Formats: sequence, structure tokens, C-alpha cells
Amino acid sequence: MRAGDWCVLTAGIVLVAVLFQQLWSHDGATRVQIRLGDTIYGTYSLNQQRDIHVEGAIGSATVSIMNGRARFSKSPCHNQYCVHQGWLSRSGQAALCLPNQLSLELIGETKNYDSLNY
Amino acid sequence: MHKGFKPLLIVAACCLAIWGLIAYNQPRLYHSQSYVFGTLVDISIYGEPEARARALTNHILQDFQHLHQQLHAWKPAADNQASELSTLNAAFSSGKPAVNISPRMAEILFDASKLSQQSNGLFNPSIGHLIGAWGFQRDEFSAVNIDKETISNLVKANPRMSDIVIENNTAYSNNPNVKLDLGGYAKGYALDQAADYLRKQQVSNALINIGGNIIALGQHGDTAWRVGIQHPRKPTAIATLELADGWAIGTSGDYQRYFMLDGKRYCHIIDPRTGYPVQHTQAVTVLIPPQAAHSSQAGVLSDVASKPIFIEPWAQKSTIAATLGIQHYMAIDQASHAFVTPEMQTKLTWLDADFKKHLHVQATALH
Repeated sequence: MRAGDWCVLTAGIVLVAVLFQQLWSHDGATRVQIRLGDTIYGTYSLNQQRDIHVEGAIGSATVSIMNGRARFSKSPCHNQYCVHQGWLSRSGQAALCLPNQLSLELIGETKNYDSLNY
Repeated sequence: MHKGFKPLLIVAACCLAIWGLIAYNQPRLYHSQSYVFGTLVDISIYGEPEARARALTNHILQDFQHLHQQLHAWKPAADNQASELSTLNAAFSSGKPAVNISPRMAEILFDASKLSQQSNGLFNPSIGHLIGAWGFQRDEFSAVNIDKETISNLVKANPRMSDIVIENNTAYSNNPNVKLDLGGYAKGYALDQAADYLRKQQVSNALINIGGNIIALGQHGDTAWRVGIQHPRKPTAIATLELADGWAIGTSGDYQRYFMLDGKRYCHIIDPRTGYPVQHTQAVTVLIPPQAAHSSQAGVLSDVASKPIFIEPWAQKSTIAATLGIQHYMAIDQASHAFVTPEMQTKLTWLDADFKKHLHVQATALH
């Protein structure tokens, strides 16, 4: 093969690699996104068993991940609405702790809506 | 030209074109979440450069912060400095003659008074003393000792928006028991302000969510903005709907601010006629089309109109909705059964199988 052929071949391989990365987003694992105040604290795979400790606006909260689900399991807030929300398992589900300025949102391949009315 | 270069150029051009296409197809969505108004503010802007979207969002958040300081019912605006609303409330309770108010406060009080009258006093932002007696003028809600006599006296004192007299940016109250709490108005007003601001800045596509009340501008790319409606008892959405340009949606629920006492739920929505929290309804959602200029705007109506429908017993819900001119609404009873108007049903896509099974598309008077 000549130099030009090598170039075409290399360019082709690079092209396939780039396209694969860009377009093959069929990532089966769902994730949970934790937001603290106005920033994204972190995004975690649901495919693990883990407790995440987050220092919120009023104190330390615990987010638990288990069996493809996530929840607030401990919170320093008074009403514990966030803990009472229980396990989140489907894409788009969210739990919010206003006093501690923490939110959880499950992220999947498709999102049913842009924003939640409550 | 060298022979080997031609195919290389073609491949390079193709690569560039595909890369450009991918870059062009990237979601041009800016999304931000912040805590203002003691609640979550979620702003999405579509189709603007990120830096501009961020600057616009920050401007809106600053406006919200100012509004919050101006209208807060129980927190000072700064150390030792009461909010404009608190100063006004102090003047009302001491029976002072007319005090100066800002043009914005005058505009808000005019509009809120009109809506209060239109709802037969069921939307009543002058019952701040009652709301305080139930412990809902705090950041955290805990069970209170229910003092029947105090509540009965606060109802008898009969504070009404019509007790307030507004003239040339001054105000006084004919009834010292009037205490303004704009908790059922301010978020909707802020939505309208933000939508106005973005339109003036020539932003065509945005979705603004303040504590669950949402207003839409334009759409999300090729499709309309889509919003989910929260299940009153589970951390999931029961249905979704498309929110077209200029439309707003709001829900009054017994699940956001409440406390439990002896197995009973006491929510923050209080019937001004009895002085007690409403216990027959889990949620009421209203969908509001764009409104004519110089009338109450869609954001305000999405906040205000759900309250009277929530408060009225089931037999009267459709009557008060008609009085307020609300065609699209859904009410959920204590068994988590939804009653939707036919107009509302055509907009909804159901996600929750139980809700869909127990759905009633009818006038709520038949409940």
C-alpha cells in the first residue's frame, strides 16, 4: 500500500472511533445525580452498593445506592420529607431536601420530561 | 496534485462535515438549579450561547432574590432591616395612617385584591396571623398545639384584602387584623417577571420552574417543553403534558408543607372560613393559557387559582373553577383518585397505571 492508502485507512479508523463514541450512547446503566446548591456534586452509577456522605447547607446527609436504586437515608433536616420519599428507581424520579439544599435525580437513556410540577 | 492526496482530502472533508454535524446537533440547552425564595429555582434556556444563558439566568436569580427580600412575610431583608412587607404589616397592625409603598407593591396588592374578591375570599393573602398560628411561617414545620379559641378569634377578626386601601402609592388598613402573607402569589409573580425579562432580551425558548410552578417560553428544540406532574404520595411523576409558549402550570398540594399530628395531616393551605387546614384534597393542578395584557398574568394565575379549587369541598370545586375561568385542571382526592376536566385530559399523557385506572374525566361536582 502507498502512503495515501495508509492515510485513508487511519482516517477511517479514527472516524469510526469518534462516531462510535459520539453516537453509541446506549449505556444501559442508569445513574443518580446529586446536586448541592447550584452545582452538580456528582453523578454515580446505580450499579453498586454504596453510601455517599454529602455535607449540605445545614449538615451531613447520606445518600444510599443499592440494587439499581437510590435514596436519602439520613438527613439533618427537621421534617425528613426527603428521607420519607424512599427509594427512587426510575429515570426522571427526584427527591429534594430544601433545608439542606440537596437534590437527587435519576438519569437514564430517556427523560420523560424537562421539569417537574409539584 | 500528488495522487495520494485526493482521497485524503475527501476523507478529511467528510470528517470535518460529520464533526460539524455532531457539534451542531449537541443539545443547545443551558440548565441551572439554585435555591432562592426558600425553594428550588430551575431554569432551562434553549438555543442561546452558554455564556449568555448563564448571564441571563444570574440576572433572573438576582431579581428573585430582591423580590424575596421585599415580599418575605417573616424574615428581615437584612440585619435589623424589615422587608417592605413586614414594615407594611407592622403599620397595618398598629392602625397607622397611610404609609408609602413601592409602585411594585401597589401593583401586587391591587392584583391580589382583585383575585381575592374574584375567588369569594378563598384566595386570601391577608390571613398571615392564621398561617402563623398553624406554624407555617417558619422554615421548618413541626406540629403545633391547636388552640381552638385563638383560631376561632382569628377567623372572627375577618381580615380581608378589601380592608386595605391603596392610593397614590400609599396604603393603610381598616382592619388591624390584616397581616399580608404573599406565599400564594409571589412565586407566580416572579415567573411572570422572569418570562417578561427573557422576552425583552429576545430569548425565544426557556422553561422556568420556581418551587414547582412552571412557565414556558417557546419550545425545547423541535418539540414542546414537557413537564411532569408529581405524585402526591410517591417520588414519581403521575403524568406529563406539553407546556406551549406562554402557558403556565401550578399545583397546590398537601405534601410539600405539612405536619402530622395524631395520624392526621395538616397542610399549609388553610380555609379562611374555618381557619383550619384543608383535609379533603391531596392536590389540585391548574394549567393556564397566556393571558391578555393588563389582566392577571399566567404565572400569577398558576399560583393563585389552584388554591380556591383546593379549598372548596368536592361539590363546589367545579363552580369555583368556572368562576375563576379555569378550564384545565385536575383534582386528586384522599384516595389518590384523579378528577380531570375533559380539556385537561386531552393534554395529559399518563405514566402511573393506578392513576389511569381510577381516572374520572368529569366535572368534579359529580364526586
